[in-house]
Amino acid sequence: MGKDLTLVREEIKPEMGSTDFALSMKGITKTFPGVKALSNVNFAVKFGTVHAVVGENGAGKSTLMKVLSGSYQPTSGTIEVGGTEARLRRPADAQALGIRMVHQELNLVPDLTVAENIYLGRMPGRWGFLDKNEMLQKATAVLQEQETAIDPQEILGNLSISQQQLVEIAKAYAANPRIIVLDEPTSSLSEHETAALFRILRKMRDAGIAIVYISHRLKEVLEIADEVTVLRDGSMIETRPIAGISASEMIQLMVGREVSNVFPKSPAKIGEPVLRVNSISDGANFRDVSFDVRAGEILGLIGLVGAGRTEVARAIFGLSGIVEGTLTLNGKDVVINSPAEAVKAGIAYVPEDRKGDGIIPGMSIRENISLPVLRSLTTFGWIRGKADRTLADQYVKQFSISPPDPERRVNLLSGGNQQKAVIAKWLAAKPSVLILDEPTRGVDVGAKAEIHNIIGQLVANGMAVVMISSELPEVLGVCDRIVVMRDGQASPPIDRQDLTEERIMALATGEEVA
Amino acid sequence: MSEIASELDSESSNERFARGSRLVDLLSKTGLSLAILAVILYGSFSSPAFFTTGNFLNILTSMSIIGIVVVGMTFVLVVGGLADLSVPATIACGAILSLGLQPVIGPVPAFVVAVALSGLIGSVNGVLVGYLGVNPIIATLGIGTIALGIVQAAVGGVIVYGANPESAEFVKGRLFGIPVVVLIFLAVAVIGHFILARSFWGRWTLATGGNYSAAEASAVPVKAVKAGAFVITAVAAGISGGLLGLTLQSARPLIGQGYEFSAITAVVVGGVSIMGGFGSVPRAIAGLIFVQLLTNVMVLDGVRTPIQGFVLGILIAGAVGMDSALRKRGVA
Repeated sequence: MGKDLTLVREEIKPEMGSTDFALSMKGITKTFPGVKALSNVNFAVKFGTVHAVVGENGAGKSTLMKVLSGSYQPTSGTIEVGGTEARLRRPADAQALGIRMVHQELNLVPDLTVAENIYLGRMPGRWGFLDKNEMLQKATAVLQEQETAIDPQEILGNLSISQQQLVEIAKAYAANPRIIVLDEPTSSLSEHETAALFRILRKMRDAGIAIVYISHRLKEVLEIADEVTVLRDGSMIETRPIAGISASEMIQLMVGREVSNVFPKSPAKIGEPVLRVNSISDGANFRDVSFDVRAGEILGLIGLVGAGRTEVARAIFGLSGIVEGTLTLNGKDVVINSPAEAVKAGIAYVPEDRKGDGIIPGMSIRENISLPVLRSLTTFGWIRGKADRTLADQYVKQFSISPPDPERRVNLLSGGNQQKAVIAKWLAAKPSVLILDEPTRGVDVGAKAEIHNIIGQLVANGMAVVMISSELPEVLGVCDRIVVMRDGQASPPIDRQDLTEERIMALATGEEVA
Repeated sequence: MSEIASELDSESSNERFARGSRLVDLLSKTGLSLAILAVILYGSFSSPAFFTTGNFLNILTSMSIIGIVVVGMTFVLVVGGLADLSVPATIACGAILSLGLQPVIGPVPAFVVAVALSGLIGSVNGVLVGYLGVNPIIATLGIGTIALGIVQAAVGGVIVYGANPESAEFVKGRLFGIPVVVLIFLAVAVIGHFILARSFWGRWTLATGGNYSAAEASAVPVKAVKAGAFVITAVAAGISGGLLGLTLQSARPLIGQGYEFSAITAVVVGGVSIMGGFGSVPRAIAGLIFVQLLTNVMVLDGVRTPIQGFVLGILIAGAVGMDSALRKRGVA
């Protein structure tokens, strides 16, 4: 393995050492017509460090990274890569200088093998013919070096999302980068898988690579980063060594205000069971799942990615089929074959993938909100404009969606406000059960608290809520009872008081607690 | 500030209208009207025959038959159904049946049956595309070919002639000085516009084209909505074919040739997105007006037919290119 290692890595060494800084961005300003997205930002990353970038949605993190990757040209400011000034006119320029991005959405080809994906666009070969052996050899070396148990000859699409993420990182790594930028790399990973990712990041860091780590998850930032830069409203607020900062200080710097309790739990009176799930199976992803959720209760449904949480939610909502088992809603057995039937029965589902399944991007907030209940707003098929507007106005006000303009196109909102619009859309249908799949994912701290508040109000009014989340502190803070899923099977609901993060992880991974 | 900045932050590669400079926004809204105005100005100077009531009535009349198809085709593009290539067959079906059945059941029932059977072609397209997930280009091409074959076989491959002069007189006649065909087109356009812009079905059509899975997760019956767009187009093409047959008093199986291309050109030039989720009937009709005026000016100026085709081809490629570019940049 040692020999393979040098094969992969030797080219990078001589370029380092001329300076400690892999990257130095000075006075970066980026204006768009009418908006200053970045204002005089200084940002420097040393070789061999993990440098976290945190900030609320809209703070300018992505814009800064787009400047770094060559997608945007800065209005003013200079960029030095490895001590020499660089002009990044297009993404290829940045890649040539050894800057690699690993995006939240994976850029991989599912039908190709892992090895082909790792060397996509840079496949080794001669005279236009691919040298498969060399490619396989190199890919094997890279994967071994990262200590991942992924077969380079496996078709990518057969891997789990988290494994695909590791392939994406291996792909970036195989290109001998000097700087790797990771944008929310753990958003689809469970805690277990996150730990594996961190091992790889530390290895890369120790090999001298500068790692820029963008994340909303401050706990992870504290764990992995050496330094942290906080952005707010397009300005660099502070860069500090991680040793000198706590999570609450970071939050304070990010929002410019004190957020006292990240997970407010408003007490609600718990009533009768509203939805009862009786040993349902879908024949593939989950089997024999039973639980009930009561009025005024938040039931957490958690587990590692791939444990079947989302599949259970989609099946209950009629987006996929149930082959065995029944649903009981308010004491009556119901059969649900489509989302329309679910809505009619009083079940609503806020999906995990907000951009993919949640919003209609080209439509206004108003049109998005009224979509599930559109039929009830019509007379002889024609939409009653006033009813349509009243409904939207009501939720925009109630959820303080910002900007408070129902005619605003929903894709122009920040992630948190989009999520509020998606939740509002379902409340208009007046459901008795609301299923929320990762409702605060990719949402900044302030909006997260607002969303928790909204959920709190709903249960206080007697709604039953099922919440899927990967964030254990959130689950433990918000939920009354928790169902832990593992490999398609579910534990019985457990009271929050009887659980700790460690206990949940033990149930989710099947490992015994020490 | 942070709200606006987030717009710039958000990845919006496949979202139209994500953000935009004021100029591009303005151009997208008024560009077509300006282009139409420019063609009218140029036409008035270049040819004395252009700016006359007679010429405009001619343009309107020839626009009406294709315009009815344009209204339907708008639904197919907006729902994300790419295009309906079975339009020539559906027009032929409408024309041949509305003339051929006249001696058997009378002119009005013949017209109704012709339109209904055209709708049937559309529902086959709809089932294939909406429910079975067949690529719309392949499905409509295949069904169009089959339908045309059946119609041809049914009439024995010959030209069908009209047998009811009164119906021909009515269609070619005028009401309040406006040709009846034009009035029918206007009625179809107004109904189509209100369905797309004001009815739940129209909102569902826009939602399905805008984000299929989100619409599905919002309890929109996406399959039916997608299928419905093809039925609407087929019914429109059936009406159009029926009127064409009555106007010409003869119908041959290839009567509808080229109409699909003209309709798609108009819709796309009108700025309706070929990727779905965005568009309106007035926009598509503005596109049609522009193309028709341009063609008319070229004819009056004696531009040769191959050049005319060349210009229209460039126009459609340019419009589609612009759509993609705007989407990619997320502007206007």
